[in-house]
Amino acid sequence: MILAAIVLIALAAIGIVSVSRTHRQMNAACIGEAFLVLCLSLFLLLSGQVPTSSFIIGNQYFFIDHLGIYEVMIAAVIFLLSAVYARGYVEGLIESRELGKGSLKLFYAAWAFLLLMVVLAFFSDNLALFWIFAELTTVVSAMLVAILYARDNIDAAIKYIFIASVAMLFSFVGLIFLFELSRSALGTGTLNWTVLIREAPAFSPGMMVAVFAFVFVGFAAKSGIFPFHTWLPEAHARAPSAVSAILSGVLLNVGIYGIIRIFAIVHRTPAVDAVAPLLILFGLFTVAIAAISMLPQKNLKKLVAFSSIENMGVLLVGLALATPLAIFWTVFYVMAHSFTKASLFLSAGILHRQYHSTLSSDAADEIRDVFSLQPLAAWGVIIGGLAIIGMPLFPIFLPKFFILTQLAQVSIPVLVLLLALLFVAAAALGYFVIANFPKRYRETELDDVVVYKTPASMKAPVVILLVLIVILGTVFTAGEVSFFDQIVKELMF
Amino acid sequence: MTDPAIVQDLIRILFAVIIVTAAYIISTRNLISLVSAYALQSLTLVVMALALYWLEGAAILLAIAAVTFVSKVLIIPYFITTVQERIRIRRDIRFHFLSPVTSLLLSMILMLFIYLALSRIMEGTPAEKSLFFFGAVIGLSLMLMGMMVTFSRKRAITKVLGYLSMENGVLLFGMFVTELPFIIEFLIVIDLIILVMLTTILAVGLDSTLEDYHNRLHRFHLVGDTEEAP
Repeated sequence: MILAAIVLIALAAIGIVSVSRTHRQMNAACIGEAFLVLCLSLFLLLSGQVPTSSFIIGNQYFFIDHLGIYEVMIAAVIFLLSAVYARGYVEGLIESRELGKGSLKLFYAAWAFLLLMVVLAFFSDNLALFWIFAELTTVVSAMLVAILYARDNIDAAIKYIFIASVAMLFSFVGLIFLFELSRSALGTGTLNWTVLIREAPAFSPGMMVAVFAFVFVGFAAKSGIFPFHTWLPEAHARAPSAVSAILSGVLLNVGIYGIIRIFAIVHRTPAVDAVAPLLILFGLFTVAIAAISMLPQKNLKKLVAFSSIENMGVLLVGLALATPLAIFWTVFYVMAHSFTKASLFLSAGILHRQYHSTLSSDAADEIRDVFSLQPLAAWGVIIGGLAIIGMPLFPIFLPKFFILTQLAQVSIPVLVLLLALLFVAAAALGYFVIANFPKRYRETELDDVVVYKTPASMKAPVVILLVLIVILGTVFTAGEVSFFDQIVKELMF
Repeated sequence: MTDPAIVQDLIRILFAVIIVTAAYIISTRNLISLVSAYALQSLTLVVMALALYWLEGAAILLAIAAVTFVSKVLIIPYFITTVQERIRIRRDIRFHFLSPVTSLLLSMILMLFIYLALSRIMEGTPAEKSLFFFGAVIGLSLMLMGMMVTFSRKRAITKVLGYLSMENGVLLFGMFVTELPFIIEFLIVIDLIILVMLTTILAVGLDSTLEDYHNRLHRFHLVGDTEEAP
């Protein structure tokens, strides 16, 4: 029932977008859609119906468990805030002729459709179905990247589609293997995750390694894991900032979610001994490449995009440790990263409007007098930056801390290496702020400066996100603990 | 009923046809024959699904054949040809890292590698029957050959054909290794159509000036009529 309701809401939103004449109406439809999805998932959670698989009778393709609903809630919050933000931001894009008025409908229809695809992906029990929805999120989000009037954007979108889709085909081959594996173990083949995780101990470990290797390629590409990360910085940096927040805060989660699900299955077989070290290796490489690329970066959005890659690497390491504590905090990390990264991209978007064009390309940012021109965005970047490097009082601190302590029990040298790399990444962010934010205009230039009047609809989401991350970082209720415990239990770690 | 041995021989011949089309897609510079080669490859898959139906009698193979025929032999090639005519590109002569000859040599090595790897993975499983094992090998090879096309060509529209050929490989692999539920196959085709439409439209954007591009989008009725010139 709930799922049908969500599909109806999304279709209604797309319908409203297609008949509405003004930007405000389309925007309101998208805000409404995200809000209703959030309400529905909260209702589902609070009414204690999770986990469930019976909301459509006789349907073996979908289910809802704690991890799924958790990801959907993160997605809904980010979609909601980005949609509010888009009201002012897209207005600015139209004024500066970066986005055609005629493309507006396509933009918002794709937006509404993307949320539906994300929700369906997270609620899929059948892994092949999940694969299809994940693949569709790639295509639809690439449309959102390519919507701006710039060849660079089309380039970035095409690169994104081809790298992600080609890699995803490998995942599908992995799923076919998995289906055959389950058929030889159970008699009838299935790709339903709930069945697979229950029966996993019966699967042959040798084949399981092959399955994981294939599936991992695709979802690694989707979440920007080295060596498939090359599309990510360009796509995230070139997209309109409201879209960048979604790409980083929601779509990377789709990839990581896929890896978590498949790793949970592998974890129940002896194959985990071969797979876990591999994951740690990929995680380390990812962090290393990202941290090193961040150092010379002079473009804020690219810097933030590389920081996403770095965080995905840490998530991978946390996952590979596979202790209940590590998984608990890895799952929490997903949310912390999403909100923090969204706040960073939204702040960067305000700076983009103030200092125009130069921010979206490869060119170095020309940020001047930022504290007097755009104080909120400046503090947004600073606070968001402190949060993303894992300072205490912010939500990434605890997950990072616990993942690192768990890592210490596995290998001290790896821990030292990872810490050093994280320090490099933090230094890169710090250096960018210190080098750029104190810069001032010369007296003679001051007359030409036009202050961009940031609309309240762009300020509010940034403020809300910043408040949210401070609350998440400082308050940890018993309810939250039991919720995350439940997720770990359902993943059978 | 025909003798199963003849059907098996037929399937073996079709394997050869598929490899030839894949090699052609890797090496040709002519865009129009590229699309025809792809359509032929898909048609071969349809025939192969029918032949398999003859052998096994699983109704799902018929459904797969039908969906493949409609989408990959008719709709997608038609769509790509239309777009090609509009952007007036006939040849894609630029290759990235690999020249056609190296690509062909590389794909031979890849096939050998896949054969060895698969025979290790499938050792002792019931799938190690010769025909099905070959199907898996050819499927994976086709996939990797498609990937080489995707990464070695410069024009986005050729990349699309590489991707499509990869997808054919996955379908072939799936057909021989196991039987997926039909709804999955069907949704994949939908996904494929959306992807192809989007990427070819974007390809139009890359291969023409931006103003032209937006005018063309008008002609495809993708953008509303209220649009102002940029």
